[in-house]
Amino acid sequence: MSERIIGILTEGLGKMLLASIKVTIPLTIIGFACAMLIALIMAMVQYAKVPVLSQLSRLYIWVFRGTPLLVQLFLAFYGLPKLGIVLDAFPCAVIVFSLNEGAYCAETMRAALEAVPAGQVEAGYCIGLSYVQIMAKIVLPQAMRTAFPSLSNNLISMLKDTSLAAEITVADMFMAAQKIVGRTYEAFWLYAEVALIYLFYSTILTLIQRRLEKKLSAYNSREAAPGSRRLSNESD
Amino acid sequence: MSLIEVKGIRKSFGNNKVLDGINLSVNQGDVTAILGPSGSGKTTLLRCLNFLEKADGGILTFDGVDYDLGRIKHKEIAAIRKKTAFVFQSYELFSNMSALDNVMLGLTIGRGISKEEARKTAMEMLDKVGLSLQADQYPIQLSGGQQQRVAIARAIAMKPEIIYFDEPTSALDPELIGEVLTVIKNLASEGMTMLVVTHELNFARNVSNRVIFMEGGHILEENSSAEFFANPKEERTKEFLKNISSQHDV
Repeated sequence: MSERIIGILTEGLGKMLLASIKVTIPLTIIGFACAMLIALIMAMVQYAKVPVLSQLSRLYIWVFRGTPLLVQLFLAFYGLPKLGIVLDAFPCAVIVFSLNEGAYCAETMRAALEAVPAGQVEAGYCIGLSYVQIMAKIVLPQAMRTAFPSLSNNLISMLKDTSLAAEITVADMFMAAQKIVGRTYEAFWLYAEVALIYLFYSTILTLIQRRLEKKLSAYNSREAAPGSRRLSNESD
Repeated sequence: MSLIEVKGIRKSFGNNKVLDGINLSVNQGDVTAILGPSGSGKTTLLRCLNFLEKADGGILTFDGVDYDLGRIKHKEIAAIRKKTAFVFQSYELFSNMSALDNVMLGLTIGRGISKEEARKTAMEMLDKVGLSLQADQYPIQLSGGQQQRVAIARAIAMKPEIIYFDEPTSALDPELIGEVLTVIKNLASEGMTMLVVTHELNFARNVSNRVIFMEGGHILEENSSAEFFANPKEERTKEFLKNISSQHDV
């Protein structure tokens, strides 16, 4: 590796990390948070079989899962201005990512809600809880545990998908790489470098996922969870 | 005076009449066993009484108040459920909570009782079913018999006027049935009113004071348990008792 390349990669690393902190990570976090909110509402509406709203929710999921993310981005950023709706690139990307990811997560959450045995809800009614209390204390906590691995998957793929935002002029990590390639023509080294940074972030997310999953699995495992009172009593 | 009285309760699933105008009354302190072959409507009857199924019609008199089961209101359901408890065949402990939290939930969230007080009550109840040492364990860490005993603790914590048991031992290993029946027997001796759908003839004979035999959505025979087992009146009842007892002889 020549000194020139090392120089380019060092400069690239700084610029890409900066772009990732300024754009890629906020876009992922804000987008995913909104997606979860959307998904939760859509899934609950379907779970509770609310008339009209649950059909609208199906329609939304059908449209956003059935069309490519890149096309959705182009339509929102380059298409909507033709109808007089002009959005800045970053908010536009946040909206599209939230809606797209929300559609996928909604399906995950709906399936997880429906996987909670009906008897759990009945038992809740029998001890005098209301529907809302049953959802909050029994159904949602159990469903979130079921949905957690899939939702983590969705988060990791969304992190990588944010690179598409570069196509609608969002100055993210991938665009930072593209700009330096445009100037230096070192496509291999720089794209490999940006790939490694994505890999680095996904790995962090995977590690966090594993740790949280272990914590959440306390009631799914016959062993007492580490740190639980039962275990500490035994070691006393 | 009877605690609950049911008149003409009806329930169909499609064209299948599961409850065909059943009358029933339960006095304070009664332990009533409901026997009968599968599909006779025993479980549906119990579920209708606690509104887990909506009956098509019939009158329920609870504590002297009449309710039209065909058009019961949410508020009335909530009022009745405050006085009842239900124990499921499959336990249905909340899998995301410890045994203690299972027993506390109805007290804190349902009744708005303070956490300290609820914890105290819940521990007493767990102690009563012999599981205070398991308070911090999750349902999956408990045996079936232990889970069902926690479910009973959860039921009695609500201080119900009547407990409905839906085949409380049917999902259990034969070895574990005894511990659950002992708990129910202790409740009986304290005067708890209970309506128990069961296949355990010995339980019906020794613990319950009344027996109802159901088939095809009807009550075929009803008597004190001593009379029921000593002198069954209906041919069908005799046959049923003979069939079940002969299984034990195999």
